[in-house]
Amino acid sequence: MTPNPPTREEILAIFPKVAATMADALGCDLDKVKLEASLIDDLGAESIDFLDIVFRLERAFKVKIPRGKIVEESRGDLSEAEFEHGGQVTPAGLERLKAFLSEVPPDRFPTPLPVAHIPRLFTTETFCKLVIRQQRAPGTEGEAKPA
Amino acid sequence: MNPHFRAFSFVDRITRLEPGVSAWGHYAVPAGVASFPISLAAEAVGQLAAWAAMAALDFQVRPVAGIAGRVGLFAPVQPGVGLELLADLKTVESDAVAYGGEVRIDGQTVVQLEDCVGPMVSVSEFDDPLAVRSRFELLRTNGATPGAFEGVAAIPLNRTGGERGHSSSARLEVPAVAPFFGDHFPRRPVFPGTLQMQANLELVSWLAAELMPPTPGVAWKPTALTDVKLRAFIAPKDTLELEAKVIAQSAESAIVAVETRRNQRLAGSARVVLKPMAAA
Repeated sequence: MTPNPPTREEILAIFPKVAATMADALGCDLDKVKLEASLIDDLGAESIDFLDIVFRLERAFKVKIPRGKIVEESRGDLSEAEFEHGGQVTPAGLERLKAFLSEVPPDRFPTPLPVAHIPRLFTTETFCKLVIRQQRAPGTEGEAKPA
Repeated sequence: MNPHFRAFSFVDRITRLEPGVSAWGHYAVPAGVASFPISLAAEAVGQLAAWAAMAALDFQVRPVAGIAGRVGLFAPVQPGVGLELLADLKTVESDAVAYGGEVRIDGQTVVQLEDCVGPMVSVSEFDDPLAVRSRFELLRTNGATPGAFEGVAAIPLNRTGGERGHSSSARLEVPAVAPFFGDHFPRRPVFPGTLQMQANLELVSWLAAELMPPTPGVAWKPTALTDVKLRAFIAPKDTLELEAKVIAQSAESAIVAVETRRNQRLAGSARVVLKPMAAA
């Protein structure tokens, strides 16, 4: 069963802390970190920055973020073969991905979409949603509200 | 002499190990080396954490230098001293290890690492997996024979510009050949990130000497590196452009942002915290 997606209120409640964490990790001005900013295209993040951001978010929110499993999570109920073929996201996978990354405008999903291109779609809001999902996970000692 | 596990290895013995959790170790700084930069003491903790992480993951992957949230620099390390090393692993997964740790001399902490992350790479891409396993067994049992390290030859830093008391820039030509490349790493030589940070500290020391001290008789000294991030593997013969800029200054501290670029692309960055201390 697909869990309820994070609400707008939940996202906006944690956004300031997520944005501050990202600005620290990327060494950029806080006002550049918009909710809809693409981490790679707008904020210039590289793979080491993704690691940095995830670990900083884990410490800031006291949650465990399943690194490397973000793409896996986005598959939902689809098997790997249903989600991707030959390094490209299948049409069914694309539908699923667009639902999972509902914060990303549809015109930012290229067709075909290489699996390796998926992190390029991630925005600040993607990480807000990730934190919220982990805060909801059973056994998490994370904060329900921003500090 | 084969430089593997000699020219850039700073753990002589692992005295206690909980794979994936923590490790204690020892390293004797050879008395014969001209100096032992403090960045190499930090490297020793990173190497101990790497052994503990590799042991937890059956030596399939190994961490490399990536991120250090804070490296506290409390006291210099002199040749001839014994370093007690501690690595505290927060998480170990196939893509990264998160850890902290410290170096003590006679019970006194001289270097402390916090919030470090080492991205994992394939062991076999960088080293001989069998040799790595066998070295680990040696470190866990008899320990390595101390004294193998012969120092790192000075790598000149050539000043290229800057504004007195505000910024400073320099060029570093990574040598084509150096003993440490045979150890770091045998199958893929990489200029160690800690040597890059040492060069950054040297650049900052030039800048610190130009900064007006808050009171007479004191001088600005580096006490910590923060937000260290290494973005690229630096190869032999690479040319690095280093830049240091004062971004904040008060009577209590000064913060210097340092950046290293290769081919104009950011390869590493950090902040250096300076505090006023009694001038030598």
